[in-house]
Amino acid sequence: MAEERTVLLGPDEVGRTIKRMAHEVLERSASPNDLVLIGIRSRGVHLARRLARRIRESADIDVPVGVVDVTPYRDDRTEARQAAPVGAFETPVAVDEKMIVLIDDVIFRGRTIRAALEAVEGLGRPKRILVAALIDRGARELPIRADIIGRNIDAGDDQRVNVSLQEADGLDQVTVADWPSRHRS
Amino acid sequence: MRSLTTIADLTNDEIEEIFSLADAAAKLRADRPAQGSIMATLFYEPSTRTRLSFESAMQRLGGTVISCSDMRASSAAKGESLADTARVVSAYADVLVVRHNWDGAVQAMAQHADVPVINAGDGGHEHPTQTLCDLYTLRQEKGHLKGLTVVLCGDLKNGRTIHSLVFALARFGANVVTLAANGMELPQYVIDRLERDYDYALAPVAAGDLSAVVSETDALYLTPKQPHQLALFTQVDQVIQARLNTMTAGLRYDAFYMTRKQKERMKGGAANGSYPTIGPDFLREQRFQDTLVMHPLPRVDELSPELDKDRRGIYFKQAAYGVPVRMALLKFLFDRRPGEAAVGQQALRSYQSPEALGPQCRNANCVTAKEPISAPQKFALFTVGEIGTLILACSYCDHRFKVEYIGHVPSKRYCAYDHALGATVGAWLQSGDLAIFDSIKEAEELGYEPFSAGPQRELMDENEIRSAITEISRQILRDCRDPDRLLLLGVRSVGTQLAQRMAAEIEAMLQRKVELGEIEIYGSGDELKRLMPSDPDLGPLILKDREIILIDDVIHTGRTVKSALSIIFRSGRPQSVRLAVLVDRGHREVPVKPNYIGKSIPSSAKDRVRVKLRGLDREERDQAIIYTIVNPARDAQSLSGKEKT
Repeated sequence: MAEERTVLLGPDEVGRTIKRMAHEVLERSASPNDLVLIGIRSRGVHLARRLARRIRESADIDVPVGVVDVTPYRDDRTEARQAAPVGAFETPVAVDEKMIVLIDDVIFRGRTIRAALEAVEGLGRPKRILVAALIDRGARELPIRADIIGRNIDAGDDQRVNVSLQEADGLDQVTVADWPSRHRS
Repeated sequence: MRSLTTIADLTNDEIEEIFSLADAAAKLRADRPAQGSIMATLFYEPSTRTRLSFESAMQRLGGTVISCSDMRASSAAKGESLADTARVVSAYADVLVVRHNWDGAVQAMAQHADVPVINAGDGGHEHPTQTLCDLYTLRQEKGHLKGLTVVLCGDLKNGRTIHSLVFALARFGANVVTLAANGMELPQYVIDRLERDYDYALAPVAAGDLSAVVSETDALYLTPKQPHQLALFTQVDQVIQARLNTMTAGLRYDAFYMTRKQKERMKGGAANGSYPTIGPDFLREQRFQDTLVMHPLPRVDELSPELDKDRRGIYFKQAAYGVPVRMALLKFLFDRRPGEAAVGQQALRSYQSPEALGPQCRNANCVTAKEPISAPQKFALFTVGEIGTLILACSYCDHRFKVEYIGHVPSKRYCAYDHALGATVGAWLQSGDLAIFDSIKEAEELGYEPFSAGPQRELMDENEIRSAITEISRQILRDCRDPDRLLLLGVRSVGTQLAQRMAAEIEAMLQRKVELGEIEIYGSGDELKRLMPSDPDLGPLILKDREIILIDDVIHTGRTVKSALSIIFRSGRPQSVRLAVLVDRGHREVPVKPNYIGKSIPSSAKDRVRVKLRGLDREERDQAIIYTIVNPARDAQSLSGKEKT
C-alpha cells in the first residue's frame, strides 16, 4: 500500500517559522548574553544551529550551542538505569545561571525532553529552561510543555510526523503520513 | 597528625621544605627514616604511576607496604562504608594512601582515620601529590617558580591534577594561561577560589580582536591583581589556536602542561574533535625553544612521539621525580606526628545544619551524595563580592553555591537571604541558631514560618478548595484509561493531604479502592512510599506502566515537579505522569505544565502562596492564602533584634 504523505510545511514556511522562533527566543530572554541553546540529537542540533545563526543576524549576539544525545537517559531503554549515563553531552556548555533553550524538531510524548532535562541537570543549575520545538503534536504523556512552538499539529497516534532539514536531508519540509498499523513510537 | 587531602593543607614554606627533602633523596634512602612503619595503599580506581611511586618511595625510606590488589573487589564491594574502612585500616598501618572516584572521598576518610591520610586523587577534585611533583619538576628545570608562565592545555574541567596545580602555581606567583578544549574550561569554583584566596581577578575581555578570534563563545581573561599578568582563554577551538598563539606572541612560555581527556569522568562524552595537541610544528617554532612540555601521563594522542626525544619533552622526568617527592612527603608527614594540625588551611566559618534537613552539596559526584553516612553535609560559609553574596562551600569537594534562604532555629522563622542580613547571620552562626534552606518548601516542611509577612489575602476558601478537589478528581477519572493502573502520588506533605482527599473522591465515584503513594523531594532515604493500601506485605511501590497522577498544592518554578519526575523515572517507567495542583501561581523556571489546576492566580516573585489544610499544623479550616514575604533590607533591623517568640 502506497504511503499517503501530506506536506504540512514547505521549504519557505520552515524557514519563516525558524526565523519567528528565533525572535521568540530573543523576546523571552531578559538578558540575551545569558542565552544558551542546546540541540537534541540529531535534527534538534541543526535547528539549534540555525536559530543561533538567526539570532546572530538579528541581534548580533553569539549564542553558545550545546549538543545533547539523550539516548542514555531514555527511560524506554532498560539498560539506561543500570549504567551511569555516559556520552550524553557531545558538546558540553556552561549552564549555571544561564537561560537554556532545549531544542528538538518534534515534541510529542514529552519523554525526550524529560531525558534532556536530566542531562542538563548533570551539567549544573540553570536559571531557567525553556523548550522550543518546530512541531508540537500534543498527546503528551508527561507534564512537560513546549514554550516556543513553530506549529501545532493534531496528528493521530497512527500518524507519523516527519521533519526533513536541509542539513540532514537536503530539503526543508514537514510531512505527515499514516503509520502502517503499528503501535505508537 | 597531618593529612594531605588538598594542596591547601601545605603552606608555601612547607612545600619548599618538602622540596629540600626531595633534593636530598639519596640521604633519605640511606637514613631509612620509615624503618618499621607500614603504609597502606587503598586504590578504588586504577593507577600505575601514583601507586607504584608511592610504594617505591615507602620502601626506599625503609618502610613496608600493604595493599589490596583491587579495592572494588574488597569489603567495599560488600558495602563497607569509607568511614569504617578508614577506621579499620588505621589499625593496620601508619599512613594511608587513598585514591577514590568520588569527589571529597579522601577528605571523608581522613575524618575517620587515626593515622595520616594522603590523597592520591579523589574524583575530579584534587590530586595534590601530582601537583607537588609538577612543581618540583618546574623548579628543577627552571630554577624557580615565581614569574614563570605556564600554559595549561586541554581538559581543564575534569582534570583533578589541573585543579590542584592551578592553585599551587597561583600561590607561587606563576602566570597561568589556559587553553581549554571546547566545553572543558576550569570549573567556576576553581576560578572563584583563585579570585578569593589568591587575589587573581577575572574579567571579560572586551578587545574586539579577541572576540573575533574566539568563535561562538566567550573569552575570559584572568589576571592576578599583583604583581604578575595572567591570561585565561576558554573554549578555544583548534582552528583559531594558531591565531591565538600569534596574538599572545609577546608572552614568553616556560612550560606547556598538557592533559589527557578524562573520558571516564565526563558526563558528556567525546567533545567535538577540537582537543589541543602538541605536534612537530611546535618543536620548530623559535619562540618555544625553551618551552618545556609536561604531562601528568598517561597520554592518549595529545603529544607527538617526536617530542619524546626532544630535550623539552620532560614528562618522563616528571614521572621519575614522583619517587623522591613522595619520599620527601612521607618523611615530612612522619616528622609531624602527632597532634599537629595543618596551618595551610584558611580558617573559615564552618557550617553544619542544626536541623534534620539542610543544604545539600549540589555536586552529584560528591562523597556527601554518594555515601552520606561517611560524610555528613559540612560547609565553609563566607561572603563574596561587593554585594556580599553568602556562599556555602562543601568541605569535601569544594563545590560552591549561593545561600537562598536562612532561618532562625529558636523562633522557627525563615526569610530569603539578603546582604543586609550579613551581621545577623554571623550572630546566628555563632550561637548555633542559623538554619539554611535550599528552598522555601524545605523550610516549611520543617515547620518554619516567614519572618514577617505582609497582609494576607485569601485566594480560596474552604468551599472553593472542596469543589476544586472534586472537580480535579472528576477530570482525573475522565482521562484515566485504566483504573487498575491508576496511582495517586502526593508530594509530601500538603500534596499528600490533597492526594488523600482526591483518592477518597475517586474511590466514591469508582466504588473501588485506588492506590495512593507519597513522594518526598527533600528527604534522604525513602523517596517513594505507599500509603494506601497500607499492607506491608505488598512490597515496594511499583511505577512501571502506571498512570501516575502527581499531586502538589502549589506550582511555582516547577523545580519540585522536575525533581519528582527524576525520582519517578529512577524507580520505574510509568505509562504516563499527569500533574494536578490546587494553585498555579506562574513564574516557571523549568518547562513543566500541570494537567489539572484548581485555580490560576497572578503573583509577583516576592509573593508567597500557601495552602493550609485542616489537620495539618493544627489548622482549623482549609484555605489558600497569598502574602508578600519579608523584605530583608527593610526588616533587617527587626531581624537582628531580639525577635524570639
